[in-house]
Amino acid sequence: MSLPSTALSIAGLHKSFGSNEVLRGIDLSARDGDVISLIGASGSGKSTLLRCIPMLEIPDAGTVTVGEDNLSPEGGRLTRGQESVARRMRGHLGFVFQNFNLWPHRTVLQNVVEAPLFVQKRPRAEAEEEATALLEKVGLAEKRDAWPAHLSGGQQQRVAIARALAQRPRAILFDEPTSALDPELVGEVLKVIRALADEGRTMLIVTHEMGFAREVSSQVVFLHQGLIEEAGTPEQLFGNPSSERCRAFLSGHFDRNR
Amino acid sequence: MPGDLTLIGFGPDGWGLALARAGLMTLYVSVSAFFCGLMLGTLIAWARVAGNWPLRKLAEIYVTIFRGVPDILVIYLFYFGGRQVVTAVGTALGLPGPFDISGFVSGMLAIGLISAASQSEVLRGAYQAVPKGTIEAGRVSGMTRFTLFRRIIAPQAMVTAVPGMGNQWQSVIKESALVSVTGLVETMRQVSVAAGTTQEHFLFYAAGGVIYLIITTLSDQFFRLAEKRSLRGHEQGGV
Ligand SMILES: Nc1ncnc2c1ncn2[C@@H]1O[C@H](COP(=O)(O)OP(=O)(O)O)[C@@H](O)[C@H]1O
Ligand SMILES: [Mg+2]
Repeated sequence: MSLPSTALSIAGLHKSFGSNEVLRGIDLSARDGDVISLIGASGSGKSTLLRCIPMLEIPDAGTVTVGEDNLSPEGGRLTRGQESVARRMRGHLGFVFQNFNLWPHRTVLQNVVEAPLFVQKRPRAEAEEEATALLEKVGLAEKRDAWPAHLSGGQQQRVAIARALAQRPRAILFDEPTSALDPELVGEVLKVIRALADEGRTMLIVTHEMGFAREVSSQVVFLHQGLIEEAGTPEQLFGNPSSERCRAFLSGHFDRNR
Repeated sequence: MPGDLTLIGFGPDGWGLALARAGLMTLYVSVSAFFCGLMLGTLIAWARVAGNWPLRKLAEIYVTIFRGVPDILVIYLFYFGGRQVVTAVGTALGLPGPFDISGFVSGMLAIGLISAASQSEVLRGAYQAVPKGTIEAGRVSGMTRFTLFRRIIAPQAMVTAVPGMGNQWQSVIKESALVSVTGLVETMRQVSVAAGTTQEHFLFYAAGGVIYLIITTLSDQFFRLAEKRSLRGHEQGGV
């Protein structure tokens, strides 16, 4: 049996904000079906790394590959030609933000069909049928005509996940998907993400939910000051981390959660 | 009792028809000025939001000038100043005089250019009030800049822009009275002529007031409707 092919990869990624060097040479790749958790202290560059993949932040150096497309921007900006490649790459990725970022002027269903209709130009009937099925999957079929502002944070995040899935993405990127939620709403969102992992979806998840990361990940990556300090299976990384910093980070984290 | 009401009626001695025409002229000059201001205001707002350094600076200077100078001065500048320039240019070219410029065009332009400065501020504020995260969510779904503007930015910016634009429209209507200094027969000009002729000052200035109130009240209804439409999904003040 052949190995699954590479869904996305990052090579030699550098990114600075002014004199603050946030990413200092990151290499990372995900095969189809991989679930990679990114952990690390606040400010270690996890969000920046995730945002560089769809070029929400333009890297200063390095290459990002998504499926067949790749980009190696220079000087922190995209040329016109690169911009259209970036749009195609974004079309193959789903992105789930910490603060949901639903479009408040559109209903739940309209949020989910927006990209299929206005980016991918798929037929409305087909897009709506698929969106309805996705809303069912995240447990919000009955909210299809509600406004985002009328939903709880957990519900909004589940709509955001359905919206990402509606693009039929090769991989989905999550930036701390439960950090903005009240504690009692975290579970419903993690349950949805866990179900996606069980389906074999390819995902990159920035998270502070260590128990969850240990359970769903095929690989865990520990980021420290813009570099990958340690990477491995959940068993290795949580059970017996080789880096002293990773060990310290984890013990601090588990102590705090106790 | 002052005021013979047949004077404002449509009878043979009545000024009714003239007043109605003048009201339409007020509406006409205001609509033209408002749209002139909207077009230029959109460009200025765009320059301030997305332009490079010189464009931004230019737009800022424009706004500073037109918000800092009395409106009546701008109208005088355009009408009397404009006539002087046209005369000078015409004479230099050896064209036969006399030279004149239209009170409608110069008044409409003057008020349009003044309004553009305030309209650009309304539009810029409306853009800045759109939550940045919703724009990122659009970009990351692969939208082009145009689709992003049409589907995500514009509909949300409307929420703040519509009431602000309603206010701008109201001030344009009121400023249009200043155009009467050019001799253009709009409401203000017509009521002062009628008041002077008949010596019924109270009656005619009151009638003028009513004409402005009819225009502003009706347009208020329109903007209210537009606002209601733009508020869909924002019943709780948005996300
Ligand atoms: N848009 C930005 N402009 C300037 N500095 C930024 C920006 N985004 C992130 N940073 C800085 O980059 C560093 C890493 O941030 P971030 O990637 O958000 O870390 P994490 O997600 O791991 O907490 C921080 O020092 C942060 O202040
Ligand atoms: Mg972060």
